[in-house]
Amino acid sequence: MEVSEAVPEGALYAFRGTLVEPIRSQYEDDPDMLELVQGFAADLPGRAQEIESRLDASALEDVQRLAHQLKGAGGGYGFPQITEAAATLEQAIKEGSGENVIKDRTRVLCDTLRAVTVSGVP
Amino acid sequence: MTPDVPNPNRVLVIDDSEFIHKLVRVRLRKEGLEVRAEYSGREGLERSLEDVPDLILLDVDLPDMDGFEVCRRLKENQTTRHIPVIFLTGNVTTEAKVRGLDLGAVDYVTKPFDDVELRARVRAALRTKRLQDILEQQSYLDALTGLWNRAYLNHRVEAELKVSSRYGRSLGIVIGDIDHFKNLNDTYGHLFGDVVLQSLAEVFRVQARQSDIVTRYGGEEFVLLLTDTQLEGAMGLCERLGAAVEERLFVVRDERVTVTASFGVTTTEELDGELTPEALLGAADAALYASKQGGRNCSHAKTREGFVRIGSGDVPPGTFEGPETPKRRSKDRGTPTRS
Repeated sequence: MEVSEAVPEGALYAFRGTLVEPIRSQYEDDPDMLELVQGFAADLPGRAQEIESRLDASALEDVQRLAHQLKGAGGGYGFPQITEAAATLEQAIKEGSGENVIKDRTRVLCDTLRAVTVSGVP
Repeated sequence: MTPDVPNPNRVLVIDDSEFIHKLVRVRLRKEGLEVRAEYSGREGLERSLEDVPDLILLDVDLPDMDGFEVCRRLKENQTTRHIPVIFLTGNVTTEAKVRGLDLGAVDYVTKPFDDVELRARVRAALRTKRLQDILEQQSYLDALTGLWNRAYLNHRVEAELKVSSRYGRSLGIVIGDIDHFKNLNDTYGHLFGDVVLQSLAEVFRVQARQSDIVTRYGGEEFVLLLTDTQLEGAMGLCERLGAAVEERLFVVRDERVTVTASFGVTTTEELDGELTPEALLGAADAALYASKQGGRNCSHAKTREGFVRIGSGDVPPGTFEGPETPKRRSKDRGTPTRS
């Protein structure tokens, strides 16, 4: 997932230096779940922005709480990548990791959130 | 017996994330469950007391108090202590699991949860809950007749008295006692006695309304609790019960045997003073005593004017003076004194 000099062919998204392939929900084909997944996905860019702005304000507790919520929900909506990235960030804050580590992991999480693609969601 | 009609199982989710609420709703819809959700420990506790759900899915990380504390309070409260709790937790340390289970939770599910696993764990918890409910119900049933037993009556009288006083409704009570039951047992054997009890239990069940609580109070004594019933209606029921008992024909050793019963009835409206279970049962029992004294196979009501013989018209109403202080009679009841 890390940046390479040239964007490889087939890659659709490149945010802030991190290259992320589009992420789709495992449950998109489940008619019971489609509407829920769409609602969840539509909310994610806003979440990413919120996390970034809380980090900019050095409000680590808020960042941790937001990461915690995404960790619990992500996999349930068919996005294990979100759960994984959020857990990694939450862990870093819990352990009192350095600023760079936290920034890095926040970026990975937010890029993951922005890479989510669900049919029916622009 | 009128068993409580089973409702669809109700599940309460206590979690601070709306995404979890929505997810659980959709996932449990397939199980035919009714799902409600609250965001905080405080709201969750209030809702639990109000709704008494069949199962609680409880997040460990709540904004106001942690899930362990919520669980502890649920288990402390008489109303909510029997509700099974499944922890939803992102924290998978052994310590956290053990802590939850030790607090009385039945299971835990780690977030993000797998759909199939969540539903299986919910089903398992509800299965156990149902068995627990059945056990509780059985402890309230009379084994021989299938009617509610005395313990259930004691429990319900108290509750129904509260309801009747809160809504200003009249609560009726009938005590019925089979005449010369000991004599029947001695003459035809205890198995015959059992058949009589079962058969008359059936009579009472059929005659009573769905909302009445029909119990075998003990021995050959039956108590019917009549919700929202005035004296007139309760007296009418006594007459019907007496006639229906007498109509039942038993055949034993080629002999036709009829059985009769005596009844005592009253309602909360006919009583003065504090309306306790003892006062209500005592008044009906005194009326029953009047029926026994009055020749059996008849009914008396305890009214504000005194004891009134119901129906038949042989004896003008109000002529019988009941005992001043009714006492439970252990020897007299059921011992035939042929005169």
